[in-house]
Amino acid sequence: MSYPASSDLLWEITRNNSSFLVKRKTGSGVRLSRDPLNLRNVHSRKHAGAINNQAIGIVPSGKGGISLLTKKKGTGATISQSYKPSKTSRKAYVQIANSTTKKGYRADLREDAISRASALIRSYRKSVKPTKESKPRGSKAKASAASAASADL
Amino acid sequence: MTSVPQIQVFSVEGKADAELPLPDVFKSPIRSDIVQTVHAGMAKNKRQAYAVSVKAGHQTSAESWGTGRAVARIPRVSGGGTHRAGQAAFGNMCRSGRMFAPTKVWRRWHVKINLNQKRFATASAIAASASQPLVLSRGHRISTTPSIPLVVSSSSFPDLAKTRAAVALLKAVGAYTDVVKVTKSKKLRAGKGKLRGRRHRQRRGPLVIYDPATDGKVLSKAFRNIPGVETCPVTALNLLQLAPGGHLGRFVIWSSDAFKALDTIYGTSTSPSGTKKDYSLPSAQVTNADIGRLINSSEIQSVVRAVKGSAKSKRAGGQKKNPLKNKQVLLRLNPYAKGYADAKLGQTKYKEGKPVRANATFHDVLSTA
Repeated sequence: MSYPASSDLLWEITRNNSSFLVKRKTGSGVRLSRDPLNLRNVHSRKHAGAINNQAIGIVPSGKGGISLLTKKKGTGATISQSYKPSKTSRKAYVQIANSTTKKGYRADLREDAISRASALIRSYRKSVKPTKESKPRGSKAKASAASAASADL
Repeated sequence: MTSVPQIQVFSVEGKADAELPLPDVFKSPIRSDIVQTVHAGMAKNKRQAYAVSVKAGHQTSAESWGTGRAVARIPRVSGGGTHRAGQAAFGNMCRSGRMFAPTKVWRRWHVKINLNQKRFATASAIAASASQPLVLSRGHRISTTPSIPLVVSSSSFPDLAKTRAAVALLKAVGAYTDVVKVTKSKKLRAGKGKLRGRRHRQRRGPLVIYDPATDGKVLSKAFRNIPGVETCPVTALNLLQLAPGGHLGRFVIWSSDAFKALDTIYGTSTSPSGTKKDYSLPSAQVTNADIGRLINSSEIQSVVRAVKGSAKSKRAGGQKKNPLKNKQVLLRLNPYAKGYADAKLGQTKYKEGKPVRANATFHDVLSTA
């Protein structure tokens, strides 16, 4: 066996047991992953960042920014680059695509990387819709009316 | 054969100041199946015998009442004057009866494990401990660790008597984050084990492997009070420590002398072991387990036959397009459509008035026929 072990072998060892693996009994036994280098959080050969030689991760970095994680060649250590998405979040997507997939670094993950970045950026946005005032009905309505009346007195 | 990989050796201050060649035991095949079976056997070999009392459930002189008393024929306690009299006894279905198939101390507690298998499993576990992805997948926190396998210079180990110095060493080589993880993980054990000297449960941290001949044993006292950290002499490696739970990839901190000793203890790919009689390292069935590289290698690609037929697109039959919406498809079906549209015949209305009646000649010809 050559050193270091191939990622095919590592996948066979870690596919049923790994600290990143989350097994759920609901959702017909869905298998998820906690790996930061996993773009879709699914436990699969393609998305297993820890065992692949090349992997992309997108994680939140404080103050509404996102970080792009990639792997260092040889050592396998994780490199992190931070982006602060400007008004146009498209710039962030272009940066992500240009620094990874466009250079032939895991071109198969482009769509997932950008959709994850997009989802993160979307989650930072404050909702524009004003929250609706609740209209209680039934016993709750009576209770609120009573409390309002007592407040008047 | 490629050149032997060189592994950095870190000083106690955490600086890389030397290099050592990687011992051949790290190239042994990683076989999780062998490690799991050997681990299961070894874990069983530490068990203590337990059983219920031989007398339990039989300390009464119950006899069956036989038929004719309209009760079941199970043995019943004789006598009177107490509630126990007349109650059923002995059977596993009875209150205060014996259990079904009472446990015996002469159960088969221990498992014989073939020596070669044990050594194979240990070599496998050592090889796996040098794989950064496997150590990560076991759950160790190694993001601050400069290299895996982590080798620390032996120069200071003989004097490493204080826990404070041991903690400083772990911090210097970026192994302390794993200890922090262990400290945070300490939880009360569920169940009766709490009363039996196993009150807490916690994760496992780094395993420090030293060479007792040169490093001395004093360091084990320095490390023993750090949560999750274990020490082990390189001459007596234990699979239960190298692969806890049968899971490969323990985070190991090697002393440089222990690292050097591996080649004599386990042997190399060319020479047998110096300490184990007639033992040589297991060799892999395939030298290259990278399937993608195998398939795409020029050796394989040169002998596989060419792809049959031309490349097919997904829409082999051609996509059906709607001629009412797609003008090009419409023109292919109806070349007149262009002239029709240009003349705007579709938009012109009928001429005003009623149609002109046919003249008299027409009717004459029609009626003569």
